[in-house]
Amino acid sequence: MTGPAVDPALDPALGVGTSSAPARTATAVAALREPVDRLVDSSRRTFQNPYETRAWPATIDPERDWFFTPELSSLYGTGHWDRLDEAGRRRVAFHEALNFFSLNIHGERELMRGLALRLYRPDLAAVAPYLHHFIDEENKHSYYFGGFCQRYGHLYPSRQLATEVEGGAGADPDADLRFFAKVLVFEEIVDRINLVQARDERLHPLARFINRNHHAEEVRHLAFGRRLVEALWEAHAPAWSDRQVADLRRYLGQFYVMTWREHYNPDAYRDAGLDDPWEVAEQAWAAEAQRTRRRELSARSARFLLDCGLLTEEPHAAY
Amino acid sequence: MLRTDHDAPEVRATLRDWIASRAQDADATPALDGVRLFEQRVLTSLHLPELILLIERLRREPVDVTTLTAADVASIDAIVARWFAPGADR
Repeated sequence: MTGPAVDPALDPALGVGTSSAPARTATAVAALREPVDRLVDSSRRTFQNPYETRAWPATIDPERDWFFTPELSSLYGTGHWDRLDEAGRRRVAFHEALNFFSLNIHGERELMRGLALRLYRPDLAAVAPYLHHFIDEENKHSYYFGGFCQRYGHLYPSRQLATEVEGGAGADPDADLRFFAKVLVFEEIVDRINLVQARDERLHPLARFINRNHHAEEVRHLAFGRRLVEALWEAHAPAWSDRQVADLRRYLGQFYVMTWREHYNPDAYRDAGLDDPWEVAEQAWAAEAQRTRRRELSARSARFLLDCGLLTEEPHAAY
Repeated sequence: MLRTDHDAPEVRATLRDWIASRAQDADATPALDGVRLFEQRVLTSLHLPELILLIERLRREPVDVTTLTAADVASIDAIVARWFAPGADR
């Protein structure tokens, strides 16, 4: 990272003294300078150009190859899965891959938007050099996900609709913490899935490559996210009311539910040839094997948030 | 299994129960039907994907999310008028 270190307490852009919320954010973020420098160096060393990749086969066969690890399928462990023949399971797995990649694109679009809104905000200036890499790498991930969906299938639309404006452009510690904690939860879950699939030798090489490539860069994003979420929480939570903290905890609990719910997409089940896809989605969501899967794949992020104190109980409603 | 005949009273009851089960301070009574769900923060945007899935499951038809607006899901009355009333978009 370049540029002189700034004492947040002396920066007029942050308000007077160290007691203002922007000044507390700046102080907390400034303490991340060394780890952020290391992440910037790592991003520069592994910089890649996805636009020159030759990874794309002309055609693929969704009923011959696996494109999603069967044990991670949203139908695995349900009667719907048991009743499918082998080709049918691979067809479901292919549409699960399309849905998973679509969810990544929708999540990364909101992520890039939130990061861009915070880029060079005075109280977050110390992490601006890494935010550039973060945005750059997320954009490249979306290029791979979108490339797969557009070449071999289509993007599934998101059922999310922005009905409330969340912060970003102005200093708002509550909005910042919600944003970065959501990013952390979303990326931790995705990364668990990427990691399993990157190692799954049954998968088509293209599916393994996209998952492996994503995991390699998400490791940095997750390291950054954990540091930042913990720093923001410790800097601001002591000044917040019990009600504000309880509201934040409820919000994060619901974010787990929303994130997981979109993995059970009736559109994907319909395209895979299943009848009554809404009932399939509802039954799969409630299946014991699926509840266990969601809990296992959520465990790492939930453990972190519990250790921080940001959560006081597991997000049970999500599983 | 949910009904598929678009019976508005039953749809309203199902929507009330669902909202009350997720909101902090909301009772599953007819008084909930006119409440501005998102403006009054009974629900947040994080509840929308689940709510849309419920609407789809009640209709047994997809909701075109590319044309969806906040007004379409502003209240139970708005949801019923948009998707379940006689002559509504099906």
